[in-house]
Amino acid sequence: MTDKPQLYEQASQYRHWRFTRESLDKLRAANNERGIERVLRGLREEAHVDDDHSMLETRVSEATNNLLTPAEELELIDYYLQMIKVYAQSYRKNGLLKPEALDNVKATAINFMKRFYLHNVVFDYPPKSIMLTCFYLATKVENAFMKIDDFVRPLQAAETKRGSKVQTKNEDILELEFVVIQSLQFELAVHHPYRAAYGLYLEMQAYINDAALLKDVFDRSHHYIDLSLFTDLVFLYQPPQIALGAFKLAAREKDLDIDTYLTQRFDARLLEMLFTVLDDIQDTVSAFKNTSQKDAQVIDRKLILCRNPEKNPSSKLYKKKAAGQGDVPYVSDSDSD
Amino acid sequence: MSVLQSAQKQEIPAFQTDDDSCPQCKSERYLNNGMRLLVGPCYHRICESCVQQIFDAGPAPCPECRRILRKAEFYQPIFEDLTVENEVRIRMRMAATYNKREEDFKSLKDYNTYLEMVEDLTFRLLYDINTDEAEYLIEKYKRDNTASIEKNQSKFRREEQLQQLISNQERIKHQQQREEYLKQLEEEKREKEVAKYNLINALATSDKDAKDIVKANMVHLKKSSLSNRSATQKPRLDIEALLRNVGGDFDDEDIEEEDEYAPFDPAESPYEPMDVELRSRYDDPNPAFRQGNTLAAAGMTREVHQRYVIEGAIAGLFAQPLHEDMVDAEATEANFRSAESPNS
Repeated sequence: MTDKPQLYEQASQYRHWRFTRESLDKLRAANNERGIERVLRGLREEAHVDDDHSMLETRVSEATNNLLTPAEELELIDYYLQMIKVYAQSYRKNGLLKPEALDNVKATAINFMKRFYLHNVVFDYPPKSIMLTCFYLATKVENAFMKIDDFVRPLQAAETKRGSKVQTKNEDILELEFVVIQSLQFELAVHHPYRAAYGLYLEMQAYINDAALLKDVFDRSHHYIDLSLFTDLVFLYQPPQIALGAFKLAAREKDLDIDTYLTQRFDARLLEMLFTVLDDIQDTVSAFKNTSQKDAQVIDRKLILCRNPEKNPSSKLYKKKAAGQGDVPYVSDSDSD
Repeated sequence: MSVLQSAQKQEIPAFQTDDDSCPQCKSERYLNNGMRLLVGPCYHRICESCVQQIFDAGPAPCPECRRILRKAEFYQPIFEDLTVENEVRIRMRMAATYNKREEDFKSLKDYNTYLEMVEDLTFRLLYDINTDEAEYLIEKYKRDNTASIEKNQSKFRREEQLQQLISNQERIKHQQQREEYLKQLEEEKREKEVAKYNLINALATSDKDAKDIVKANMVHLKKSSLSNRSATQKPRLDIEALLRNVGGDFDDEDIEEEDEYAPFDPAESPYEPMDVELRSRYDDPNPAFRQGNTLAAAGMTREVHQRYVIEGAIAGLFAQPLHEDMVDAEATEANFRSAESPNS
């Protein structure tokens, strides 16, 4: 009887998006290394465009002095992940995003962006534009679709207010859409801890008598799940495990005993493993710190100098390639293979 | 450590012999059977009544070595050899403070260095080498690592509780198995007796050939004991052959076969079913599913929804996180493959 598979094991999230901390580090380091190679190669190619080799030396040395480490990449990405949260709130205030879809859109967008940067580097695709594309994609995936014009209008309004020269255009978002989906391996279904926390809350009602306190803890766990989205926990553990970790953090704060529920409900042998997982989740979530705006600005400024010209729409190389191909519908890499 | 802990729970009796005698008052066990010999931090034996006498009024010097002792510091040793007692106690004290584990360290080398350091301190305490410095180091470590010490302590306590739970559950399971087995034996015995009784009855009342009657009854006997056994173990293949040879009737044997070939159920889930018990009422945070609301979507009852949600919360709760040596086999292959495609 027990040779039947578990349903959750069939999810693409379980099959393709699970890692260990070490493999994540390795993957990111390898991407970073290859990204740097591409930046240097792109700079050399650009020098060929108009046979102007005089600038090459300075450009290369500028770039090599300002290359980002994997950790810096992560910090920068994290800053823009926070932006997703801010944008989601403002779209909700505009009435463009249904309040019940808010959590899922936000979490899916964050997840997409995290997944995207497992296979890409910020040198090629700066997180600012990827963030918007991921967000727009997430609204579609989570059934909270809005028109691209509606999506861009508030962004433009904010930009005019800030007095910035560059205006976000529809194409900026749509052009990257296919690149993002491709990097996501066309797997767009993401499972979040929110729903698992909802289920856990229903389940615990049968075991915990203090209903008011339990509701308090459930509401509070939402905050910790929000925090967990920014960490790498999504790549390490299952959504129910993260939800339970958030529950335990909230329960510790509100002084509710959840361990009794667990020991009553589940086999003690299974709990042994679960407790180490929960410990790790709790430690990671409570130790997590978002990148500050100041740090992000410093990294962003470095990034301007070490971007890959091959993928930079304002570079000469990109313009030449685009002109050679005629009208390029989107930034695609498949032709370079 | 565990020896002392079980001693504290009074599972292990304190050490005593018949020719114990108190070095102070010279009273002997031979004369005073209830005598308890205690030791203090300086490991000099002294009987309980002497302790009362000397230390009742407050701290006083040890009669042997003049070290100042208090009454509360005396206890009954559980080892005959007091150096062993001393070592066990020192090690227990060290283990309470230095309770880091291998997983708390980045590399095995760090862990080994830490163990070496702990062992070095223990050795100094044991053999009285630079004790003051060692004590100072231990105090300092304690102060610097209060949080991690407490955390590991609670971890240890929790593991102990879980272990107890596991062994309890196991014991209950064994007990149930045993009871079931005994019940089965009883049943078999009773059936045999009934069969025997029937046989004698048949022999007494029927006018057929006695040999035939015995043969027919033997077949029944065999069959019943076999069908009984099949509840616990799979029927062997030779049962059919055996029965065919004997030529008994097959009617009630066919049931057993049906168990092996369960009928195909097209509506059955291809996935492992989950153990979820629904309550009749939930305080549902989703307003659409609150008690008393009529549901908008057809075919979706409140119960179905709640079952989905709860199953979703339990599914994967016990999924093992990937382990480093599993990664090479599974994940990297899939993920590096895709990593190539967008960029290279």
